[in-house]
Amino acid sequence: MIYQQMAIPPRSEHLWRYTPWPRIHPSVTDEVPIADDVIFSLEGGEALEKIQQPEDSFDEIARAFLQAAGGSYNRLVIHEEPEPIHINARASGHVAVGHLDLEVKGSAVVFIHISGEPEWVGLHITGKIHPNAQLSFGFINELDSNTKFLRCEDWMIERDSELEHATLSVGGFRCKSDLRSTLNGTGASIRQSVTVNAVGARHEDEHVEIHHLHGHTNSDLVMNSACAGSSHFIGTGLLTIAEGANKSDASQVFRNLLLSEKARAEAIPELEVHADDVSAAHGAASAPVDKEQMHYLMSRGLTPEESQAMIVNGFLLNAFSNLTNKHLIEEMRTRLTVHLECELKR
Amino acid sequence: MAEEILRIENLHVSVEGTLILKGVNLTIQRGEIHAIMGRNGAGKSTLANVVMGHPAYVITEGSIFYKGQPLEELAVFERARAGMFLSFQYPAVIPGVQVGTFLKKSVTSVRDVPPKGREFRKELTAAMEQLSMDKSFLSRYVNDGFSGGEKKRLEILQMLLLKPQLALLDETDSGLDIDALRIVAKGINEVAVDSACLIITHYQRLLDLVKPHFVHAMIDGAIVQTGGPELALELEDRGYEWLDVTA
Repeated sequence: MIYQQMAIPPRSEHLWRYTPWPRIHPSVTDEVPIADDVIFSLEGGEALEKIQQPEDSFDEIARAFLQAAGGSYNRLVIHEEPEPIHINARASGHVAVGHLDLEVKGSAVVFIHISGEPEWVGLHITGKIHPNAQLSFGFINELDSNTKFLRCEDWMIERDSELEHATLSVGGFRCKSDLRSTLNGTGASIRQSVTVNAVGARHEDEHVEIHHLHGHTNSDLVMNSACAGSSHFIGTGLLTIAEGANKSDASQVFRNLLLSEKARAEAIPELEVHADDVSAAHGAASAPVDKEQMHYLMSRGLTPEESQAMIVNGFLLNAFSNLTNKHLIEEMRTRLTVHLECELKR
Repeated sequence: MAEEILRIENLHVSVEGTLILKGVNLTIQRGEIHAIMGRNGAGKSTLANVVMGHPAYVITEGSIFYKGQPLEELAVFERARAGMFLSFQYPAVIPGVQVGTFLKKSVTSVRDVPPKGREFRKELTAAMEQLSMDKSFLSRYVNDGFSGGEKKRLEILQMLLLKPQLALLDETDSGLDIDALRIVAKGINEVAVDSACLIITHYQRLLDLVKPHFVHAMIDGAIVQTGGPELALELEDRGYEWLDVTA
């Protein structure tokens, strides 16, 4: 279905309850703007392969909108790559849109760093992890603090393959992400972490769907947010285990740290289990900084501000604790630490 | 001439409206080791926590002086920077913060002249070897997943690095096997030479290894008996009932 024929989703839909479509659309909902390209390049400046716009049809409004808006279409096929691949996604102009298709046939580590200052940025990433392949994927959002950002991802994880997926979101003014992964073969697994530092009046809505279609599949999601100022974070999860997908193991944990009285956070993990013999767990917690942790650090000579910064830093870094690839962990930790140090100096 | 480090006068402390300490008096000079013994709930840990400035404890009457200065004038971090240290009975878990990072930050905060990187690493290695701690400790998160004994060792490691002038040790011996106890006691004895030390304990066994100059028995929020090391042996032997009459 094309975007212009689609109905605006009601707020009763789980996905659109907290950030309705009109709030993330770049203008008025019946308009499709002329978008500039998001430019994807490898470290060193080499541009990614450009492809024709595929004739896909989407029945989900954000994806249909990104297709209607056009922008750049790129593809990267990776066979086996021992060194991490860094992709810079540079957005410019008023409205910028980019599409990236990743295909992984061996073992690889890929980072996408998105930056730029447009009023609105849209990004659609699709990925296929072939049987017995492994991808460690880091996404770092460092967009300007006035940018609205819509991000959709669709991952297909085949038999005996593995996706490690980490998000660090510290940029943008209003951000909506809809990240979907399908475990499409026995032995497929995903470990996913989302780390969000929300300051000022930032609004961030992260929706993560993981679908277990086959048995003996594993998923592990950790989502940590720290909310300061009058920021608002929403983390929603949808975990489904299909009928017959026995011996699947799934876990979702959402934690929010509230750093001011005006900051708000929602954590809503949902489970739909249609198989009999599975292990599925979810948990959610929102709380201010623990007073005993503060006292402990202050009793070791740290000021209240230093103590809180150390606790927040640790809390956010801890979201990466379910990851295993050392390049991925190191890069995400470094980016987060640099960001928090810059925040502290402001 | 003896130098007064800690003076507590007629201290009354309440927690959430309940009076816990009911007139504690205690003076500790530099070079002295004091031990406080008492039943659970007698107020021993409250005393240590209130001296370190825990916000849950309210002083309703009396005063505490550190090197002659009223403590209420000092925030918690200022107390640490002035040379006060509490080894917590239940140290906080700080997920995501590596022990190495935490120790460096703490030492840098407390010392007037922060050590340089290589100098700090050398000092840290020596202290860890003394406590038979593996280097892998440094990359673990602070107290996260630590056993009781590991937590206590980390507390003593901090004490060795921070070199306090007043060390408050709240049940540092609990949860330690005899080998670990010897190692920890060695660390305490090293620091105690040039500082004032207050040990809170239930057991005589630590006091066999760290010889106190004074032992105090606390009953229902007050020190009711003070003596030498022999008092600890008597308490271990006779329990506290005989002091209830005195109290």
